[in-house]
Amino acid sequence: MITDLAFSDTGFPISDGTVTLGSVLKFILILSFSTLFAKILSLYLRRSLKDRVSKDMGETIIKIFYYGILTIVFLSNLSLIGIDPSALLVAGGVTGIILGFASQNIVGNLVSGFFLMVERPIKIGDQVQINDVSGYVTDIRIISTHIRTFEGLLVRIPNQQVFTTNITNIVGHPVRRFEYTIRIRYSDDANAAIWLIKDLIDKEPFALLNPSPSVFVSDLGDSSVNITVRIWAPVNEWFGIKTRILWDIKQTLEENGIEIPLPQRIVRIQTDSKKVPEELVPVQEKEIESVLNYEERVLV
Amino acid sequence: MYGHYNPPFSVEQEGIAISVEKTGEQWIYRRKFGTENVEKIILGDNKRLIVNPVEPLNTPKEITPNLLIEFEKTLLLAGGAKRKIFLTFPIEIGIFIADKEEKNLQLLDVMSLVRQKFTLYGEVSNGVICKHWKSQIYPISPSPNPLQEGIMELTLRNASSDWATISKVVFSAYGMKLYYAGDVFMRARMDILNRNTAETGFELQKLSGELKSSPLKEIKARKEAFGVYSLKKLGIMPLNFYMGSGF
Repeated sequence: MITDLAFSDTGFPISDGTVTLGSVLKFILILSFSTLFAKILSLYLRRSLKDRVSKDMGETIIKIFYYGILTIVFLSNLSLIGIDPSALLVAGGVTGIILGFASQNIVGNLVSGFFLMVERPIKIGDQVQINDVSGYVTDIRIISTHIRTFEGLLVRIPNQQVFTTNITNIVGHPVRRFEYTIRIRYSDDANAAIWLIKDLIDKEPFALLNPSPSVFVSDLGDSSVNITVRIWAPVNEWFGIKTRILWDIKQTLEENGIEIPLPQRIVRIQTDSKKVPEELVPVQEKEIESVLNYEERVLV
Repeated sequence: MYGHYNPPFSVEQEGIAISVEKTGEQWIYRRKFGTENVEKIILGDNKRLIVNPVEPLNTPKEITPNLLIEFEKTLLLAGGAKRKIFLTFPIEIGIFIADKEEKNLQLLDVMSLVRQKFTLYGEVSNGVICKHWKSQIYPISPSPNPLQEGIMELTLRNASSDWATISKVVFSAYGMKLYYAGDVFMRARMDILNRNTAETGFELQKLSGELKSSPLKEIKARKEAFGVYSLKKLGIMPLNFYMGSGF
């Protein structure tokens, strides 16, 4: 292509014709109008899909639709700026290599974004942990993924990083399990405590029947009998139940005379059986004995 | 309690008290049940309140559109057989507000008098959360409390040549159609496709009234209840439930 500005008023002679200022303007106008048109159509589509498909699915459809329109319009009007689309196909391999080297990160993020949309390890609205970032996925764009942390901060993570790192999807499955360890005294009836806890779980609607909860003595600790409680709950409800049931268990056990003991250690001091009681020791000997037998005293 | 009411009104049954009173220019809706107290302000005249049974999937929180009914005793159905049984299902009481012509319905309140429990149908990785209910299998229509339980006429069809062992059935609320008069009624079907899969759905045709299999039951014309799920824009929601994880 000849780039001498002296020819700009008449047009640029190219391999398959001439590019005029008017045709370039026409190309820009078409692109602008099609962008506007795609945006309006996306808005309309978003409204009509709102109650029909999930938000995540809807956003994916809209993005494919939006970028699809732009790509088709762009390719079909390339001739206006003197580029033959079929030549692009021939030059595609070479262009790809050049682009790959020149914009490795951007292309990497773009490709990762595409695979994220296809493989869908995370969806908009999911609670996830990516690297050290935990929160809700608010958007999956072609270059980056947006996370709103539980503290309300917006974190933008490049898609390449999302795709190549470990992702923990907290709501990936419909249910999840949580667990408590409840400590009771050795003097309390563990069977009664288990029965009370099971009854409490049974009354909680969101504590699932299947997979069934389990309550069992898991450890005979230093100062308590430890009861493990495992409950399955719907993934969007588990945190509320976890906080609610724990306090209910504590109150119910206490109401039934079962107490949660504080950590304790019983110390027994074993006295020397051969030792003469202090009261019987003559005053003189007592003074000597206290010194002589000092090391022999046993502390258990 | 079920019926259509023109405000102001007050109705009380089995510990539930519902009233709509005019205070100045506005209407106040009040509902009391046990320790629950609900109060809402209604701005609009010439409205009507409709109290009717609704799908049992709205309380304590709407987290699933699926209802799993577990049988108290396991049932065995011969290959190729078709049988009719009766079950009970939980009821929720829906209070709607509508125009006098019963158009522009809006759910005002919903409550339940029965035990609420959820369960998982299928595996942890790909199962679905369901509202749980346990029912006996009745050869003829039972007579439960219509504020708590409804009657489901379930037609079982075993399309396979093997025996089918059935201990539970799952339904989608999107297809539910409840009818009520002195009782609450629903007609459903379960088609057993093979040893592990079945499809369930509801018969949507308007009932003429009677339960033919129950000679003791009076012939009565049941009204079709307004449903919470039928008010929603359904889109492409399936009305049937495909039981792919056993029954």
